[in-house]
Amino acid sequence: MRILFFAHLKDITRCAEMNLPGGDLDADGLWQKLIEAHPRLDQFRTSVRLAKNSEYVRRDARFTDTDEVALIPPVSGG
Amino acid sequence: MKIEIRLTDIPIAEHLSAPASGVGAGAWVEFRGMVRGEENGGVIAALEYEAYSPMAETEIRRIITELTSGQSCLFVRVIHRVGIVPVGEAAICVGIAARHRAEAFGLLTEFMNRLKRDVPIWKCRALTADELAELKTQ
Repeated sequence: MRILFFAHLKDITRCAEMNLPGGDLDADGLWQKLIEAHPRLDQFRTSVRLAKNSEYVRRDARFTDTDEVALIPPVSGG
Repeated sequence: MKIEIRLTDIPIAEHLSAPASGVGAGAWVEFRGMVRGEENGGVIAALEYEAYSPMAETEIRRIITELTSGQSCLFVRVIHRVGIVPVGEAAICVGIAARHRAEAFGLLTEFMNRLKRDVPIWKCRALTADELAELKTQ
């Protein structure tokens, strides 16, 4: 699946996006893989929301290889 | 009701026309959020905004649709800057046409609260005057 990073998460991961093969994952499984790839993401887990295909997800969401997943840190527009 | 959303990297026009929303509109309220010359106690020359554009537009539309359900607002326009926005320029402009001013002011307040909570747009960097000048030479 395609993973997108924004704001300070781009600095943490040193990339704006990455491909994460993984099959069918729940949010915990996804975070586990993300932290394996970028260990420093762990400290942001509680403040970051997940979005799938441009929509915030519910806790029971599942993520597959065809999804675009965005990590949304606290926003500050306006 | 009509909704117009634009994310743009060019300055928002000084004067924007009120929409042609027919004869029903008794109020046209316009709000501009400006970039201040101070951020976290320091003097700055500009802010850089970043957006997850497809989702930002979807969220703005979803929020407006939700907030105007059962209301008589006629038109909402949201323009948000992305990229470098110098101090004194508008980072956001929201225009609302409604039958009565109370609906327009109420929607504006609630929309801005929701935007600052849910819409994926970030102030990703504050620039000093030197940093801004250096960017302009690149």
